[in-house]
Amino acid sequence: MKVPMKWINAYTPCNVDAETFQKNMIMIGNGVEGYEELGAEVSDVVVGRVLTCEKHPDSDHLHVCTVDVGKESPIQVVCGAPNVEAGQLVPVALVGAHLPGGVKIKKGKLRGVESEGMICSGDEIGVPPELYPSVGAAGILVFHEDYPVGSDVKPILGLNDTVMDFEVLANRPDCLSVWGIAREAAVACHSEFHKPEVTVREVGGDVHDYVQVDVEDTNLCPRYIARVIRDVRVGPSPLWLRQYLYGAGMRSINNVVDITNFIMLETGHPMHAFDLDMVEGHHIIVRQAREGEQITTLDGKQHPLTAGQLVICDASKPSCVAGIMGGEESEITEKTHTMMFECAVFDYAQTRLTARALGIRTESSGRFEKGVSARTAMEAINRACQMINELDAGDVVSGIIDIYPNPLKEQVVEASCERIAKRAGVPIQPEEIEKILRELHFGVSRDGDHLTVTVPDYRQDVSGEADLCEEALRVYGYDKIPSTLLRGETTPGGTSEKMKLRRRFSSLLTGLGFYEIMNYSFVSPKTLDLLQLAQDDPRRNMLAIRNPLGEDTSVMRTTLVPDVLTTAARNMNHGNQKARLYELSRVFDPQNRTEEGLPTESEQLVLCLFGEGETFYTARAVAERLLLEMGMQTMPVRSHQTYLHPGRTADLLCGGEVVATVGEVHPQVREAFDMPVNAYLVEINVECVRAMRKPMGEVKALPRYPSVSRDLSLVMPEQVEVGPLLEDMKHAAGKLLESAGMFDVYRSATLGAMKKSVSFNFVFRSADHTLTEAEISAAMDAVMKAAAQEKYHAVIRS
Amino acid sequence: MGMKERIGEIHEAMVKELLGATSTQNLEDIRVRLLGKKGELTALLRGMGQLSPDERPKAGQMINEARAKLTEMLEKKAEEIKAREQAEALERETIDVTQPAQLPSLGGAHPINMVMDELIECFTGMGFEVLEGPEVELDHYNFELMNIPKNHPARDAQDTFYVDDNIVLRTHTSPMQARAMLTRKPPIRVICPGRVYRADEVDATHSPVFHQMEGLVIDKDVNMADLRGTLNAFAEKLYGKGITTRFRPSFFPFTEPSTEVDLTCSSCHGKGCRICKGTGWIEVLGGGMVNPKVLEMCGIDSSVYSGFAFGIGLERITMLRYGISDMRLLYEGDVRFLSQFRK
Repeated sequence: MKVPMKWINAYTPCNVDAETFQKNMIMIGNGVEGYEELGAEVSDVVVGRVLTCEKHPDSDHLHVCTVDVGKESPIQVVCGAPNVEAGQLVPVALVGAHLPGGVKIKKGKLRGVESEGMICSGDEIGVPPELYPSVGAAGILVFHEDYPVGSDVKPILGLNDTVMDFEVLANRPDCLSVWGIAREAAVACHSEFHKPEVTVREVGGDVHDYVQVDVEDTNLCPRYIARVIRDVRVGPSPLWLRQYLYGAGMRSINNVVDITNFIMLETGHPMHAFDLDMVEGHHIIVRQAREGEQITTLDGKQHPLTAGQLVICDASKPSCVAGIMGGEESEITEKTHTMMFECAVFDYAQTRLTARALGIRTESSGRFEKGVSARTAMEAINRACQMINELDAGDVVSGIIDIYPNPLKEQVVEASCERIAKRAGVPIQPEEIEKILRELHFGVSRDGDHLTVTVPDYRQDVSGEADLCEEALRVYGYDKIPSTLLRGETTPGGTSEKMKLRRRFSSLLTGLGFYEIMNYSFVSPKTLDLLQLAQDDPRRNMLAIRNPLGEDTSVMRTTLVPDVLTTAARNMNHGNQKARLYELSRVFDPQNRTEEGLPTESEQLVLCLFGEGETFYTARAVAERLLLEMGMQTMPVRSHQTYLHPGRTADLLCGGEVVATVGEVHPQVREAFDMPVNAYLVEINVECVRAMRKPMGEVKALPRYPSVSRDLSLVMPEQVEVGPLLEDMKHAAGKLLESAGMFDVYRSATLGAMKKSVSFNFVFRSADHTLTEAEISAAMDAVMKAAAQEKYHAVIRS
Repeated sequence: MGMKERIGEIHEAMVKELLGATSTQNLEDIRVRLLGKKGELTALLRGMGQLSPDERPKAGQMINEARAKLTEMLEKKAEEIKAREQAEALERETIDVTQPAQLPSLGGAHPINMVMDELIECFTGMGFEVLEGPEVELDHYNFELMNIPKNHPARDAQDTFYVDDNIVLRTHTSPMQARAMLTRKPPIRVICPGRVYRADEVDATHSPVFHQMEGLVIDKDVNMADLRGTLNAFAEKLYGKGITTRFRPSFFPFTEPSTEVDLTCSSCHGKGCRICKGTGWIEVLGGGMVNPKVLEMCGIDSSVYSGFAFGIGLERITMLRYGISDMRLLYEGDVRFLSQFRK
């Protein structure tokens, strides 16, 4: 909320500079986002009277003027404005003056005639029409009041003020008002807060003769006050009021509308003025809208209304959306003769719902949504009538309509000073707590440690001892809170098992050259189309967000694959020649719900490898290595995923379960993701690993007897899968086999088409003796026999 | 020619050859001739049979002496040549040690996780336990138990993604406070890191997905000073000596009193700079004393126990720490960005 300092100072004189003010306010909990010193760029601009005004001898549009600027002799100024005339009082920038935009006025010649300054337009000194009414586009600014020549123009034009921009906390709607802020400022700057005495001069008559008010829904409208003004004299507002409103960021409309805005800003009570002659039947009805009703609001927009939305109606139709925006018809105009002020309280929740539904946010709705006190409404409407008196904008009819069936009681809180000090962690004495609460306008009676506190009407946020603790502490000083260490029973602390596994994966993967990436948890459902997933694939069941930012972020992901591919593609297209990437994050399964009805969240790990040297086998090897580190020996088997190359995809099985899938990205999918080069994917089921991982156990003693190594090259048909063959051979080799592996695959014309030669190495060792040739031969015979089985047809290469 | 002359002759010839030897191979040839079965001295020894028994001992002695002398010379020469040959080899094997080498590739964790790990280490060291919970959360935990009823204005501050009327994407890690209190008995000391969601459009400082870490302590006589002490310890551990906290009054529905917490700007140490906009302080987290209403709703007797809670924005800390000016970089996964981070 923006407030000019002059307005605050009117109720509490804060004799501090803007920076100190800002600091002091922040330290008692009133955020000041910043401040603007109006006219900071303007200097040496004074009031001058144009004495003579002659045509420039050498120009059609320039004038040569002599201007009295309060010096010994008048100065000569060349002026190009068409509206300059002798006798005018005008702002004159003297030689050496500074103007907005870094302009500096120098002595100079204009078409041969000397000029000792500049007569300014509003624009040139940064004064908009809001600040000074006669600023026109026509030319120079002409003062319409009398001011002494030579005096500084800044105070006249409202340029000597500082506008503070407050960041009001959600629990302090009372600070959405000048009075609220001034009350805080008084505490922050150690000054007194004086509220004006509110008195209203009435002209007789009876409000009931002018209007009838009925509130049908007193839940949504707990209080409705109306007063009537007759012989309304609509006109411009005085300069001070325009300047206050301008500082607060509002436009001056006319005296009556300005009063309603002034009251809202000053007291925090939104008000509305109705042209009573436009209110059919002179009857105001506060009720819920009926389905199908419509209203045209002040901004000229038509809104359909729905049941539940509160409206202010006349005898036949809605004329105002309660607390949000007035209707076009009953708007105050120059023709308004009799009007009604409304100062009411509307339910915060319903106001919020209606404002959202209609897509309207106003200063008024914002205040009602945060909460307006019913107890202070009477003072606000009377203050408005007092302003009518002061501005002579009409005559206040006697009598008040006040529909307030369930008056709120004042809030009383019982508290203990000792508990307050204990909670705050500061050595604050009961006397000091009492003093602070009084400064904040709480009613306090203290009996030793015990406090009975009456909460001011506007402080709807205070309802308990903890609230009083904050009140006491923020004035006592948050900066005085000492720093103590936790006491009491110690707790062991530590990370969760889940986190430990993630960290293990992370350290292994980073050692293997992988960079971790992070993507949003929501995606477009279309990403699954890019993966070519079948329509009945379970991953298509995605949790939808009801109010997403856009289609691209509308469902919670069930697989990390699209995001990882997108990131890989981005890297490729940014010219990164190679990369190893991983993402370890949650996926969401709405089909399987928890006891609480929430979707299951499980962790997935997806790796992507691309660039020189990466193959299906490097990808699979990474997966196998990771899983081995988790104590999981795996077996690759040929597998299928729509987004992976059909001939280059494998699942890694452990104990019969698929714990990982490895494959080359399908060329069509590559194209869909705009990936210029090959990439390999590894998907690891983290939940599976969590369940199946094994600790390493005891170490084995180092062998005492030598090992014997045997190589074996076998020729076999191309389609024989080496994985199962090797497994069979290992099995056949018996318990003397220490390890076995493959080290070469060879194809040649001599071997014949559709044949390959695969070389294996077998290492044998016994724990208790040196192996004999006979033992090894027997084992190798068994190996060769296994290889010769019909399904392999693998024979020794000759 | 007498035996003596013969020995002298052989000796002289071999010395000559030895002195002329230039390689290990030369020496090997000489060794064979000197000591080998077919060597000249060996032949002389064999020929001693022809000598008279009187002459034999003397001749044998002479031959052996000559052999010993030559052997000694040979060994000396061998060492000399070996040393020279090794020096030559070293010379030959010299490489350009400044020639650029291919570094082994090493990856890296995401900067947010790096920072998160550091925070976790810091707090677990103080006896905090890590607790994780659902990202898709019940409105009940995310809002109601955090003292934010339906249509409460505080809901505006957190533009919420809804799944349905009762389920939201959690807008903060605070619902974990409720989950911790409902499943544990005091003393409770937990930290709850994780992803949170708010309906903010993406720009340099906003992301609809980001990370927070909640901290919660519930025990007897916990107060604001303990919160300050805990956060001061965290500030110092994370940013070093001299980094401290500034508390400013604030408002959160689930804490009372509430505070914004600023840390001494670590790039200027409080002097005021571009990063802290001249204030010397950086706003990094919020916290306060757990609102008694929240304690009661979560089954903790507020007349016996009190507690504090705080929430740290990890993106903000990460960005400040590494001078990242655009949050989007964290979610783009460009290796040229990611490869710059180390612990």
